Amino acid sequence: MLFPGVRALDKVSFTARSGEVLALLGENGAGKSTLLKILNGDYPPSEGTVALDGRELALKSPHDAIGEGISVIYQERQVVPHLSVAENVFMGHLPLGVGGLIDFGRLHRETTALIADFNLPIKSTDRVRSLSVAYQQMVEIMKAYSHPGTKVIAFDEPTASLSDEESATLFAIIRRLKAEGLIVIYVSHRLKELAPLADRAVILKDGRFVAERPMASCDELELVKLMVGRDIGDFFDTLHRNAEPGGLILSVRNLSNRKLKNIGFDLHAGEILGLGGLVGAGRTEAARAIFGADPIAEGRIVLDGRPVRIGSPEEAIRLGIALCPEDRKLEGIVPRRSIRDNISMVILRRLSRLGFIDFRAERKVVAEGIRDLRIKTPSAEQHIVHLSGGNQQKTILVRWLAMSPRVLILDEPTKGIDVGAKAEIYQIICDLAREGLGIIFISSELTELIGICDRIVVMREGEISGELLRSEATEDSLLCLAMLGHKGRIGCED
Amino acid sequence: MRIRLLKNQTIGDRLGMSVSLVVMVLTFSLLNENYFQWANFQSILISASLMGLVAVGESFLIIAGHIDLSPGSVSAMSGVLVAVLLGRGVGAFPALILVALVGMGIGYLNAALVTRLRLEPFIATLATMSIIRGAAFIINNGKPAPISDELYLSFGVFPILGLPVPVWLLVAVIAVFSVVLSRTRFGRNVYIVGGNATAARLAGIDAKKLVTKLYMITAGLSALGGAMLASRMNVGHPAASNGLEFDAVTAAILGGIAFTGGVGNLAGTVLGILVLQGFNNGLLLMNVPSFWQYVARGVLLIVALSFDFVRNRRR
Repeated sequence: MLFPGVRALDKVSFTARSGEVLALLGENGAGKSTLLKILNGDYPPSEGTVALDGRELALKSPHDAIGEGISVIYQERQVVPHLSVAENVFMGHLPLGVGGLIDFGRLHRETTALIADFNLPIKSTDRVRSLSVAYQQMVEIMKAYSHPGTKVIAFDEPTASLSDEESATLFAIIRRLKAEGLIVIYVSHRLKELAPLADRAVILKDGRFVAERPMASCDELELVKLMVGRDIGDFFDTLHRNAEPGGLILSVRNLSNRKLKNIGFDLHAGEILGLGGLVGAGRTEAARAIFGADPIAEGRIVLDGRPVRIGSPEEAIRLGIALCPEDRKLEGIVPRRSIRDNISMVILRRLSRLGFIDFRAERKVVAEGIRDLRIKTPSAEQHIVHLSGGNQQKTILVRWLAMSPRVLILDEPTKGIDVGAKAEIYQIICDLAREGLGIIFISSELTELIGICDRIVVMREGEISGELLRSEATEDSLLCLAMLGHKGRIGCED
Repeated sequence: MRIRLLKNQTIGDRLGMSVSLVVMVLTFSLLNENYFQWANFQSILISASLMGLVAVGESFLIIAGHIDLSPGSVSAMSGVLVAVLLGRGVGAFPALILVALVGMGIGYLNAALVTRLRLEPFIATLATMSIIRGAAFIINNGKPAPISDELYLSFGVFPILGLPVPVWLLVAVIAVFSVVLSRTRFGRNVYIVGGNATAARLAGIDAKKLVTKLYMITAGLSALGGAMLASRMNVGHPAASNGLEFDAVTAAILGGIAFTGGVGNLAGTVLGILVLQGFNNGLLLMNVPSFWQYVARGVLLIVALSFDFVRNRRR
């Protein structure tokens, strides 16, 4: 599987037997999701094959995959909310009666039998939208199960949005699928739930196969160790970093909202503070809450010793807080506008007199930004969408630096950009820290967190699970905090 | 500061429409000797004067990712309202100003439905389109309201340099709003909000406030245009201006303003207005039955947008 410039999966091989639950493990970006997408026919592999019962499959679309007996249950629900449970379960092969009309009697009888079989407290006539996320997921499983010829069901983080009880129901169903001889492929970050459920674990890292272990003779810490263990590039040693952080700029206390529980940390001038954790741990939500993009239910934010209330991004910007958002395409760039327009949008008020834009001042700011951050473009009038990912990211960085922020929050600033641009962005971040900015750096890449941050706060399930100094941060200790919520005891700190 | 009216435009953006305009004028001129006449151009401009005002408002809205379906109703209601006010002895200028303010009030209502109730712009303004049309009938019990105020009647026809006031009003509105769109922070934010509303919000731009202003501008211009129409016609007719908004949106789209938002400018809209009105007028002169004019206009729109499609794909 080749992505432009990045190999998401590199010659990964594994097998699974019927009646087996196979766990796929790896850090963020290890290639688990890509693998599922190949199984589901979403992406064609550039090399290699998928074979079932000894026969090679050509999976060009999800339709092909289902036809061959492979169903993938994604984290996002793939149900039709306004239809009934029965219609969803038998979608695509509804029982037909007289004159090609749907035989609703048989449809509901069969669905009711299936629901009883799975031991679920729902009715075949319930609208799917009225069900909880957990039961919507069960509907999807029944759909996969009821499809004639299903041999493989793959789950992507199925318990991510389930309560403990709901998870238990799911596990019971998975054991049942296993007992009936299906192959279950199970992707999860949650090591604790895997031990009693899975038979074997396949560990991936950076798109490569690392190891395979039977779950019975393997403990959590060993799995964590297998998932890390990469050489941190020498590159980070050559960074010209800030030696001496200054005074306190920002402190966050007891910050809570729908997604966050009791978040608190301090940020000093000239410090690069990492926010680590798994995808979905609440890092982006914490950044958005501080920036005023999401509401805060409780908590205090103190900026330069003064308590502040930040109700909107506009207010955050006025206070000197900048947020370079995670999703460049959805939240960052204005695709069909020029680099100039994309840079000046935050500081347009400063660049205008009586509402009229001072184009000369605007062009000057933009030209300086393009020069300082070495954005590769023929002109400032180029539409931003025509730039490479790295240059787009630098443009968005210039947008926020133009406002001369005191606090700069960077959410996954190197996501999806090439290695060269990454190195440049690391150096830019270090330079900014030397100039005295307080920087919050969110990343899912452990190497870069460890490589450039002075201190790392790790989040897990909306809470802070620990804090590591640069000197004690290792991939093991980070992953232990992110996945297990403690620093680990045996072998985790070496 | 240099004046650069055609900033950010590639020649291709306007070339297609400019060439179409020239070809269209030449064709109609060859087919009918009355087409290429000053009197006919006057009549084209006069009939464009109401739709043009609305097209300016719609252009701003569509660039910002919104749309307003109520201008036809607002225009008709304003015509009736101004006639009734004049009939009750309100002066010509106060009546005109009052009607424009009522129009802006309706625009505020549209905006409130969209930004507060979070209705889709299409649905919100579909509802007000119906409500305001009803109001136009209710105000004068469904009867057209005649106007006898001499000063007011002169608004619609008083000639300056050979063209009546409504045409100059359109020229002034286009001039002012072109500058607003291309040179002010407000205009830039219209593009940013339409190009990526999420990014705009994170950059501290208050999209709700901006969109509210845009709905108020569009409805205000529609009201002003409707009042001018009533002056020209000596009557405020509750059934007037049916489908006005669709002509205005057609002109904007012909001018290269994309429904995806964030793209286009008023130079294009001006071309769109001229092409659409010049085309209607030509068909009229050639005695094409009005039923076929609808068909022809639809075909024109499809052809124009196909050019767009081909051009975008080549890029």
